[in-house]
Amino acid sequence: MLSNRRTSTSRWWHKKKNWILFAIFIFLVFVRISKGSFYKDLYYFISKPFWPGKFQKEIVLESIDQEHLIKLNLLKKDNTRLRRILSLQESSNNENILAAVISRKTGSWWRQIILNKGSKDGVETGYIVIGPGGLLGIVDNTSLFTSSVTLITSPESKLGVWLDRIQINGLLVGLGDDYPRLILYSKDADIKVGDFVSSSPASTLLPPNIPIGIVQSIDETFKSKKTAKISLLAKPHVIDWVQILKVNI
Amino acid sequence: MGANFESKYLMNKFFIKKLSIISFIFIPIIFLWHPSWLGFLGVQPYWPLFWLLPYSMINGSINGLIFGLFLGLILDSLTLDNNLTQIPGLIFCGFLFGRIKLHRDILVGHFRYGLICSFGSFLCGTLYFLQILFRNFLDINSLMFISGVKIILAEVFLTGFFAPFICSQLLRMFKFSRRELQ
Repeated sequence: MLSNRRTSTSRWWHKKKNWILFAIFIFLVFVRISKGSFYKDLYYFISKPFWPGKFQKEIVLESIDQEHLIKLNLLKKDNTRLRRILSLQESSNNENILAAVISRKTGSWWRQIILNKGSKDGVETGYIVIGPGGLLGIVDNTSLFTSSVTLITSPESKLGVWLDRIQINGLLVGLGDDYPRLILYSKDADIKVGDFVSSSPASTLLPPNIPIGIVQSIDETFKSKKTAKISLLAKPHVIDWVQILKVNI
Repeated sequence: MGANFESKYLMNKFFIKKLSIISFIFIPIIFLWHPSWLGFLGVQPYWPLFWLLPYSMINGSINGLIFGLFLGLILDSLTLDNNLTQIPGLIFCGFLFGRIKLHRDILVGHFRYGLICSFGSFLCGTLYFLQILFRNFLDINSLMFISGVKIILAEVFLTGFFAPFICSQLLRMFKFSRRELQ
């Protein structure tokens, strides 16, 4: 009589290949959970010889001087206004970290940049990043040597902003293109093309008066809100050097 | 001297055998590098498909599916959107690419890589975009829709354009590596 029992005792767990694949899977899950810190640090070392040179740095510093002048005027105005109110909110201190952009995604699904300064240099999640011109984004994630920044053009980004001319707060929302939208929750707001947009003194994420952009066009009023297209002062697709501001709000 | 020669020979053999895995490690690096001079409308080709197509064609659907998952896990870890994933698109592409057979005519094969990669890129882009739309269901904006379609089309074009060059070279390398293995 023939036996019905299996002659082979081979099971999937007896195969070495399956265990290797399982180990790779576990490793990759670890990489996913750690938000790719290992890869970002590896990329830091590989891209090191190609970082932007000193010449660019000087141009950037010149632009930063110009930006500071604009910022100074804004701060004076803000100071006078705040003295009247008597409840001051602490603005950022001068402990800035200069960093180079080592990876840039500004035109695809992902609107982010990676900087060559990480937790080793004291960068923390929530710090804000400015480039020549003004605000670029907020640090979202850090590894030992790098930090990833969500740009204000990203659909993930929603910030409180201030229109200085008409003295009104608004919301700046990224849409995944190069022009974020400003939403004003008042259909009577007298917004005009060319109006200057800066970070809001009421914002809990940003220090006040950081230049952001200029109103490029105004959309049709929809229900009780007005929206406008904003042209950014800092261009994330060309900037090679940025400053990371430590936020003390 | 003999031992030195032997160790060099063994190392070369190891690299040739593991060529596909070694090249796999470089995909996230290229994904991070994101060279702007290779872009069109600010969009880049969808790099992982260039590796996934030849690998799946040689190793079959199941391996394609597994490495699609691995690629998705790594690439998701490098992007900041915690709630969106590239895994479904890459798994599907890996499985689909594994069912494609090699073509005898070299020229037809080259153009076929372009078409297949374009289709894969369209699939991955659409799946990713659907996730974005689903997530922003309450405040869907027509402008978001336009920019999404623009990104998909630019990505499809670029991926299809570069695929014949890159995929055929990688396929040749992987075939050589497999022959050495046997």
